[in-house]
Amino acid sequence: MMSPRRSYRSKVRILVDMMRTIKGEGEHGAGPTKILYGANLSYDRLTQYLEELVEKELISETEVDAESRVYHLTTKGNDFLQEFTKVERFSEAFGIEI
Amino acid sequence: MQSWLASLIRLDLLLESVAGLIALAISHYANKAYQLTEQKRLSDLSSGFIVLSAAMFGRVIGTIYFFILSGDGSGNANLMMAVVTIAYGAMKIMAYVLFAISTRPTKSPTLEGGMVLLALPVLVDPNLDLVAILVLIVVVIQALMNYMSTRSKYAAYVLAGFTLLLLSHVVAIPAQTQLGGYALSQVVQFLGFIFFLVMLVKAGKE
Repeated sequence: MMSPRRSYRSKVRILVDMMRTIKGEGEHGAGPTKILYGANLSYDRLTQYLEELVEKELISETEVDAESRVYHLTTKGNDFLQEFTKVERFSEAFGIEI
Repeated sequence: MQSWLASLIRLDLLLESVAGLIALAISHYANKAYQLTEQKRLSDLSSGFIVLSAAMFGRVIGTIYFFILSGDGSGNANLMMAVVTIAYGAMKIMAYVLFAISTRPTKSPTLEGGMVLLALPVLVDPNLDLVAILVLIVVVIQALMNYMSTRSKYAAYVLAGFTLLLLSHVVAIPAQTQLGGYALSQVVQFLGFIFFLVMLVKAGKE
């Protein structure tokens, strides 16, 4: 039997999954590996999308040391997630997958 | 009798105007959601509600204009009202077809099929509530399937809204001979829009 889950994730959905993973880590922030597994991404796409999220100021990057970085959700990112959750509920009400 | 009829028409126009505003609000929110997600179906949903809203406001304005023309003793009043009624029926069916397209399950008829459906009001007599009923049955079934799979209260509000819209067309069939049936149809339609409004407010707040 086929799984009822979507086989295709839109770009905005991937970005939101990444942001939710980061938010889930709270004030400690999330490292790239955590985000990679949390959002179920390949490494190439992870790098590309992390750059995009930082550029849009939805997340911020902090260098812990020369080799590791952690990401935090910005206020703008938090507002975006809240708005997306509302849109998600609205779309779900009409049976529209986003 | 005449004053009762005038009150009924006033109430009808009031309910239609409020329902039109609700449709406009849903269209606006669906468009906002489309801008955020680029999901084409949200754009179709937005178009559906804006067409429905335009139909409702068109009917309200047309009816008011009809009374103005009638008061002046113009012979064009009946013709104008006939045009408004046909346009109202056709636009409503187009809106329902857009709802059917936007809320269809993921694996379903192609857009080409949907485009043919959009021509339905032109191909058949739009005065027939039967066409609206047939399209709305599809929409209600899709809303029911969505509710069964998600069990979300928001989906339940949408299901209730579309079911009441369908019911409003069903009770409108005998309304051609009974004024009470017509009034009931308008009230049921209005209640359907109230469910949409509740969904919109709750989805935006909780």
